Amino acid sequence: MTKRSILANSISRRTALQGLTATTALAAMPIRARAQSNATIRWWSPQASPAQVAAYEFQIAQFQALHPDITVVFETTSDEGYAPQLAAAFSSGEVPDIVTHLPSFAVQSYYANGLVEPFNDVIEAIGADDYFPGANDVFQAADGNYCGTGIGNSAANMMWLRKDLMQQAGIESAPTTWDEMRTAVTAMQTGGLYGAPLPYGANSMTSLIFIGFIHQAGGQVFSPDLEVAIDNEGTRNALEFYREMREFCPPGATNYSWGESLTAFVSGATATGIYTGRVLANVRDQNPSIADHITCVTYPRMSEDIAPWTFNDFPSVFIPAQSQQKDAAKLFAAFLFDPEGYIQQLHAAPGHVLPVLQSINNSPLYQDNDIIQKYAPEVELMAASAAGGYNLGYESADHASNEKAGEIIGSNVISELVQRVVLNGDNVDEALGAASATIEGIMQG
Amino acid sequence: MSSSNTLLERRYAALGLMLIAPTVLVFCAVIIYPLVSAIYLSFFNIFTPTLEGEWVGLSNYTELLQTGQFWSALGNTLIWTIGTLSLQIIFGIAMALVLHQNIWFRSLARSLILFPYFISTVVAVLVWKWLFNDLYGIMNHLLISAGIIDFPMDFLGTMPNAMVSVILVGAWKYFPFVVIAVLARLQSIPDALYEAAKIDGAGPIARFFDVTLPQLREVLVVIILLRAIWDFKEFDLIFLLTGGGPINDTQTLPLLVYQEAFALNDMGRASAYAVVMMAIMLVFMIVYIRRTRSEGGS
Repeated sequence: MTKRSILANSISRRTALQGLTATTALAAMPIRARAQSNATIRWWSPQASPAQVAAYEFQIAQFQALHPDITVVFETTSDEGYAPQLAAAFSSGEVPDIVTHLPSFAVQSYYANGLVEPFNDVIEAIGADDYFPGANDVFQAADGNYCGTGIGNSAANMMWLRKDLMQQAGIESAPTTWDEMRTAVTAMQTGGLYGAPLPYGANSMTSLIFIGFIHQAGGQVFSPDLEVAIDNEGTRNALEFYREMREFCPPGATNYSWGESLTAFVSGATATGIYTGRVLANVRDQNPSIADHITCVTYPRMSEDIAPWTFNDFPSVFIPAQSQQKDAAKLFAAFLFDPEGYIQQLHAAPGHVLPVLQSINNSPLYQDNDIIQKYAPEVELMAASAAGGYNLGYESADHASNEKAGEIIGSNVISELVQRVVLNGDNVDEALGAASATIEGIMQG
Repeated sequence: MSSSNTLLERRYAALGLMLIAPTVLVFCAVIIYPLVSAIYLSFFNIFTPTLEGEWVGLSNYTELLQTGQFWSALGNTLIWTIGTLSLQIIFGIAMALVLHQNIWFRSLARSLILFPYFISTVVAVLVWKWLFNDLYGIMNHLLISAGIIDFPMDFLGTMPNAMVSVILVGAWKYFPFVVIAVLARLQSIPDALYEAAKIDGAGPIARFFDVTLPQLREVLVVIILLRAIWDFKEFDLIFLLTGGGPINDTQTLPLLVYQEAFALNDMGRASAYAVVMMAIMLVFMIVYIRRTRSEGGS
């Protein structure tokens, strides 16, 4: 009763409502409107190990020191999650201002739908002549513009080997063909140790890795003019071999994606691995006892007549067209290649993301890294393999750029094909027919 | 006097409208607008990132009803909902009965039992994924140590293990809700009923079925309806545990909506799935509303 009278005497109902309205309006005011004087750039990347984030923070600090009116905020996405997150961001208009480390085919897909800013001027600012020859070809869109650029190269399907286990099993050289690989994993798989951590999960890793197997069997998913061509002898052979390899993989490989596959090799649970050069830093940090015994080769193929096929997702940098801070984002995008910060970023995961600029690759500062020096032949092989690498958006030098590659990977149609044949034992013809029809539908949709 | 009253009443009516207006606005913004928007979008073929598309009428609905994926996802949703809900009810009642007894550390136990319900789903799933891990998981280690299996079991990558695992984790996560509700009701059952049953010669089992269960009936109906609605639309737990795999064997309707909207970028089709989901859930809601109304009336 007392409280009520005090309230009634001091604040009228009208005043209270006016106050409430004013507070609500202030709270609802967009943050952007309150911070118009300073530009804030949101930076997304799926590459966010602690060492990488520390390197990004260094680059951000350097950049902000040069441009005090610009603030850069780093936000993590993931390899499996970026597509839905970006789809939601694009549709809501709340886009990041700069995105890095997404595969080139994703950028091409976004650019084809008018969602990405042309990147020509940034490439010029970085120095077009400094790139390795052809490094930006994969980013050239149908209209002649570049939709982004590479922030690195990656050789994502290298075969990692344990030399000590090979020696124990009497394997003299690294396998180059599937027959040799089958022999090697059979010899190395002993109690508690599995042959390989191949992924069989319903996810993008299974799709991306299996596309490599199709090519390593001489097949392809699309013809050069982008007709669906997955129903071919190479795919059938790849499915058969992938099914045979199931008994050499851990039981949980049916749910493996990048993290689980990497951990299986690094922890010593499997005799071989399939991954990028991130293996090197992880072995050093998490299982140094095997550090002197690991090496890598290009992944075996069906026969030596078939050329190796390295999966390079061409980790990118691009700027969404809806960004309200395009100029600042372009400044920052070019600054990401500033030698001091760029090298620190590359050193955060040595051998995992490889340089795209020749001046960086030849720089003593870049070469001055314990992992790059210790595993020089492996890093060199990965760099060479990645430079000649492909992905679903760029299946071969003869193939047209495939703007639907991102949706095909996102649909899991290829990993579903693998699961149907390998895990369910479905008829290969029926499974391939269904996969072809789904891919056809996506291409036409 | 009469006109003054009318004026006052009008002012109060206006004040009432003003006070309720923010709630109505928020309700319209977060319930009505998305609902109408989803129904509207379901008549279009829309590319998610740009939200541009063309009118296709009812074809999204006719296509989804013709595809096996919808029926498969609906089947999975029903298996998941019925499976996990049944276990939640059984575990929940059992645990509530235990916590209703005069046991040591009863207060502590009552607090700890709520733990699964309160922790984040992401954390719960990470913990369970480690428990299920084929190489380092404690479940496989225990099963192998006990001689039950010779090789690690694949809990999440093969069927029916994946569905069973998801149902079990769901039951573990959500059964505390049943415990809370049932325990509250147990505490209000008159002791005289049990004493009368004892005098009539009823043993513990007979007392449970003849006294406890009938007394719990009303609260159980509400729990089952509420949890059925929540389990039917469960997304994060299943998505994080299996992603809908192996193949599409644990893909429920919410996962299908997500895949259509954000992996295949077909917002129109996703909206159609969502609208059909909503229609199915409407049945549960109508039953729930009728039930609560009749309880209120009685």
